[in-house]
Amino acid sequence: MELHINGKTYSVQSEGDTPLLWVIRDELGLTGTKYGCGIAQCGACSVLVDGEVMRSCVTPVEGVKGRNITTIEGVEEDPIGQRVVAAWVEHQVPQCGYCQSGQVMAATSLLKQTPQPSEAQIAASMTNLCRCGTYNAISAAVQDLAGGGPSAAAEKARMQAATAANGRGMRS
Amino acid sequence: MSKRRYRKILAIVGAALAVVIAATTWFVNRKPGSPFDGVSASTSPSKALIERGRYVARLADCVACHSTPHGKPFAGGLEMSTPLGSIYTTNITPDKATGIGGYSLADFARALRHGVAGDGHRLYPAMPFPSYAKLDDADVRALYAYFMHAVRPQRQPDRKSDIAWPMNMRWPLALWSAVFTDGGTYQRNAAPAGVDATLWNRGAYIVQGPGHCGSCHTPRGAVMNEKAYDGSSRQYLAGALLDGWYAPSLRGDVNIGLGRWSQADIVRFLREGRNAHAVVYGSMTDAYNNSTQFMSDADLKAIAVYLKSLPGNPKQDGPPWQYQDTPNPALGSGAHPQAAGARLYLAKCGFCHGRDGRGQGTWIPPLAGSVASMSRHDASAINITLNGSTHIVAQGVPDGYRMPAFRHQLSDRDVAEVLSFIRTSWGNRGGSVKPQDVKKLRQRTNPASSDVIILQMR
Amino acid sequence: MSQSTDINGHNETFPTDETPTNISRRRFLLASAGVAAGALVLGFGLPLDTARARGATAAAGSPPRVPAFLEIRPDGGIRLQSPFNEGGQGIFTAMAQIVGEELDADPTHFLVENAPPGKQYTVMSNGMRITGGSMSVRFGYTAMRRIGALARMMLLQAAAHQWGIAVGELTTEPGRVIHKASGKSLDYGQLAPHAMALAVPDADSVKLKDPGQFRWIGKPVKRVDVYDKSTGRVEYTIDTRVDGMLQAAVQHAPRLGMTVGRIRNEAQIKAMKGVHSVHILDGAVAVVAERWWNAKRAAETAQVDWQEPKPDPSARHMPTDFSTKSYREHLANASGDGETAESKGHVGDALKGAQTVVNATYSSQYVHHAQLEPPSALAHFHDDGTLEIWLPNQAPDMFLADIAKRAGVDADKIILHSPMLGGFFGRHFLYGPGNPYMQAVQLAKATGRPIKLIWSREEEFLRDPMRPMAVVKFRGGLDANGMPVALEAISATEGPTEGIANQRSKKKVDDSAVEGLTGKAYAIPNRRIAQLYVKTPAMLAYWRSVGHSMNDFLYETFLDELADKGGQDPFELRMKLLKGNQRLTHLLQAVAELAGGWKRGPFTAADGSRRARGVAMASPFGSQTAAIAEVSLENGQVRVHDIWQAVDPGSIVNPAIIDAQVAGATALGLSEVLLEEAVYENGQPRARNYDMYPILPPDRMPKVHARIVESGAKMGGIGEPPLPATPPAVANAVSHLTGQRIRSMPLSQYDFSA
Ligand code: FES
Ligand code: FES
Repeated sequence: MELHINGKTYSVQSEGDTPLLWVIRDELGLTGTKYGCGIAQCGACSVLVDGEVMRSCVTPVEGVKGRNITTIEGVEEDPIGQRVVAAWVEHQVPQCGYCQSGQVMAATSLLKQTPQPSEAQIAASMTNLCRCGTYNAISAAVQDLAGGGPSAAAEKARMQAATAANGRGMRS
Repeated sequence: MSKRRYRKILAIVGAALAVVIAATTWFVNRKPGSPFDGVSASTSPSKALIERGRYVARLADCVACHSTPHGKPFAGGLEMSTPLGSIYTTNITPDKATGIGGYSLADFARALRHGVAGDGHRLYPAMPFPSYAKLDDADVRALYAYFMHAVRPQRQPDRKSDIAWPMNMRWPLALWSAVFTDGGTYQRNAAPAGVDATLWNRGAYIVQGPGHCGSCHTPRGAVMNEKAYDGSSRQYLAGALLDGWYAPSLRGDVNIGLGRWSQADIVRFLREGRNAHAVVYGSMTDAYNNSTQFMSDADLKAIAVYLKSLPGNPKQDGPPWQYQDTPNPALGSGAHPQAAGARLYLAKCGFCHGRDGRGQGTWIPPLAGSVASMSRHDASAINITLNGSTHIVAQGVPDGYRMPAFRHQLSDRDVAEVLSFIRTSWGNRGGSVKPQDVKKLRQRTNPASSDVIILQMR
Repeated sequence: MSQSTDINGHNETFPTDETPTNISRRRFLLASAGVAAGALVLGFGLPLDTARARGATAAAGSPPRVPAFLEIRPDGGIRLQSPFNEGGQGIFTAMAQIVGEELDADPTHFLVENAPPGKQYTVMSNGMRITGGSMSVRFGYTAMRRIGALARMMLLQAAAHQWGIAVGELTTEPGRVIHKASGKSLDYGQLAPHAMALAVPDADSVKLKDPGQFRWIGKPVKRVDVYDKSTGRVEYTIDTRVDGMLQAAVQHAPRLGMTVGRIRNEAQIKAMKGVHSVHILDGAVAVVAERWWNAKRAAETAQVDWQEPKPDPSARHMPTDFSTKSYREHLANASGDGETAESKGHVGDALKGAQTVVNATYSSQYVHHAQLEPPSALAHFHDDGTLEIWLPNQAPDMFLADIAKRAGVDADKIILHSPMLGGFFGRHFLYGPGNPYMQAVQLAKATGRPIKLIWSREEEFLRDPMRPMAVVKFRGGLDANGMPVALEAISATEGPTEGIANQRSKKKVDDSAVEGLTGKAYAIPNRRIAQLYVKTPAMLAYWRSVGHSMNDFLYETFLDELADKGGQDPFELRMKLLKGNQRLTHLLQAVAELAGGWKRGPFTAADGSRRARGVAMASPFGSQTAAIAEVSLENGQVRVHDIWQAVDPGSIVNPAIIDAQVAGATALGLSEVLLEEAVYENGQPRARNYDMYPILPPDRMPKVHARIVESGAKMGGIGEPPLPATPPAVANAVSHLTGQRIRSMPLSQYDFSA
């Protein structure tokens, strides 16, 4: 079976019912895509298939042969993916980082389909779990990418205030 | 009215009543006759007979009800909840004290076919004896040989039912049986034109007899009787609501039945637990895990031939489903639906069942055009959403993909909204779901076990 | 917990010497350990001869170990071995900041790695090396500063030699040494080769910076790991691989303690695709295969006859009749006064004399860690008998000692790697059968191949040791003015520390069971806190903020109950009870100010919803916190709109990381109070994955507003402290809004739709 991943073609031996997740992690060694639950509950395994986010733990590999798969390893080759990563760094989103490959893929998918999502659209699309609780940072980063909005500005101001604050005293 | 006259009437009524009581008492206490009365079974049956019995036990799915996940095979104890209280299945191992070790072949046949236990008490019709009545003598003999010689005796007393007096009296069940079972073994019928009669009859035998498909798939009457026990009625296998699940029609109905399935689809479903139309779930998982996958290819083919011969009922079924992109279009790229149901669909369902509701190959079933999406009964849709599925175990190997339980993530209203969306999208006509109905089923049902449950037959 | 393993004490490998040493010249060894040629490496005493010998064997077998701490490369790159493991809390960045501050080098350019085991890395002032208890920065601060300062001094000395100028005339700017007078300057990288030959100066000879001069400490320095974590580049244990590796999956016994009788279908499993071998372990069946998916499916396919264990008081055994429901009743029925953990005045007398006495029973629930990375371990036996192992852990030396003991391998023959953690939360301590590494070691031994073992999420939830459950009986006495004059709390529970040790605390009280009931700052004149030890068969664990995660909920919600009974506003009551305590009065005011002033409600918000607010405080891990939560009801479900939290850790290193930790700990506290409960029935957990054990999803996340208050008090922790005040603040708001007194978590068990 042939898979197109990050612009390369791989020939894989796994059986057709193997989840895409384990084909890319184990057979192809692309371990940036994570396993969290295996039953489509967490989103750690998110990848793009033809630009749309899929949870690879519940995607039998046979169904994606011949389609264009993007994993986190290839995300920066996509201009939108690149912007997402930059926003993640700018907003210092990750904590443990384990969920973040999936979060970045979900955000990239959203922005590819909808360059300027509303707050409600962001909430509806960014459904991956994060045990470290980075949700506020994620939505700030995506709103920033969506082209401003109050919370992006607020976040910026907050970071600037924090940077400006010096020595002892009170900060918020 | 004069006193004398009154007394006279009373005397007549009294006498009549006495006769009725006496007759009823005789009737309900009588042991029905059996062709095996006075026949003694071989004490050392052939291996082949025992093996045949084992196969009949698979066809009849004895293990699903008479075993519990952590109990001994056939020792009973499975709880079956009824509106009156729970009843527990019985020990059918050959243990003399607590099982059926003391049963003669005739006793065994009476229990199997007529619901009369060895001591004469009447079994609840949770035991599908109206179907088993159709088992032919050879199969009964084989089954008896299997239970007596290949099942390990277990000393485990039966658990009494939780049903309180007076509803726990068993004798009225005799009347029930008398009214609702027609008795008699399966009789060969003429197959429809152009259909292989041998196959068709074999299929009819399994479906109506040991397979007892009607127990779930035939609608029931006022006193829980199945409305029909063979294909002579349009009600037979026409789909039914039972135990929090809607068992689909097994007739030619295109929407809520097997109308769109080929014979090969049916065979594949019963053998592998899945095909492009559906994946086994709900109570069918028990039937699949313990019974249908063990059936021979020839028998599966026979079943498919027979089921495909049962016509649908377009009046009940409506026009054939067709995939539609309206009123709710497939939630393609960039869709940001306003409706809560559609949003929930994308967040909770779409990753597996597809944004277009078409599922993934034979691994994850489509919701577009599925029975649970097309039937006006919403029980199955609600139940599977709340409780998820137990593992389908095919040839001993648990499935790689499993439906999660959402009862702790979605409120009654959420479930109603997402199911209403599913049941009105992509050409589905099941209609919307009410939060109250979700609430009711939530209270009545439990989440499916995420353990892999394999019931052993030895 | 100070049993750090001394890998050097009984052999010649590396002498124990806690004074840093310049080990740059041990080139052969360093090169084989991946150190750049010409780098200045500060490590610990390393005699050349044994190093050579070791280097020689290393080439043939296992990789060498270098006790390097700080490496300054000729290209200017700086590599720091952090004694503390990164699991999301930002400790690598904080360590780089602290070292960078004194070294005068930009911490954002540091390459930070987790240090191997070794006494040298026991930098904490309390003599331990463990990443936990929110201790890393506060206990490692001084030692790490000193390392940076020593390295800077060496670079200054190297420059002084180069230029023939006295050290005193030189200064530094980030990354370079400057001679102001001449305008000469050299990069650290250029100087590194020249510093290689220098001796490390005496630790007392360097002066640490005046905090007023800090360039990085106290600033929101960007994290060193964020880019890698945003691009999937970080390698967690689950991602590790070595040549020739096989992968393993297990099926655990349904209940702890059971053993394998037999595998009914062993032949079937062995014949499954990709399966290498099938193994019987302690309480588990393992399948080894080329690929994990195949191993997992085969392990699930195993039909095992499990057997009940023989009675063994030293091991925990989960009986078939255990349920959380009946266990809660069991705790509630436990009677007695318990062992006193904290006492002041005379509670009994004060209660007798009180105007009003309030009795109430509160309880907490078992919760899972539910970190997103499922546990795994990779074990590799080299030809020379050395065991190289990768595993998630928060205390490398303790794990190494445990492996040495249980695997029967000499400690100096174990190379232990501690990859970054995909979630921390207390999951990575030594929990016996709650960790997978011994299984991996056993399988590697049995197969002669490197084995990576991964627990599926289902197996993880079956063996995840839980945060304890407690039933606390409170008695409170109010005077005529409604002021609390007495408070007694008797907690029926088994604490995490005694649970992990599987024996009752010798002190009779497990501090980690009662913290948060004890240590409260309120001036209630008569009080008694006690623990009533009741053993549980469930495996117990530390969970983010440990005892505080439940006890501050229990205490602070009961305090609100007392306030209501006494007709007091809960915020005002706290103010009164903190009278004279400037630090906490200030903190409480700070959180109110952050929230736009205290108002309890209920009030109608702009969107038309009815809302109320709750307040709570906690004193966890050397820090002080106060939180206010605003809630409403939506379809009978609690919606938390905002959480304001003021945190006073005394002094800080990185405000941006603290902000993130406040958001994260608040989210976990919310998850606990809104949703989480690990339920057991028939001795088995009901939930085996996130479907039945939901954790806080994004759409239930409120806006979190943090304010850091630096009171200048002794430095406290940060990773855990922002958790404990959150659950009670939310519950107090809900009690007030609904009129229904909340005495247990999670709120999802209450029906507010009426
Ligand atoms: S691993 Fe795929 S959604 Fe969790
Ligand atoms: S950053 Fe740790 S799980 Fe999201």
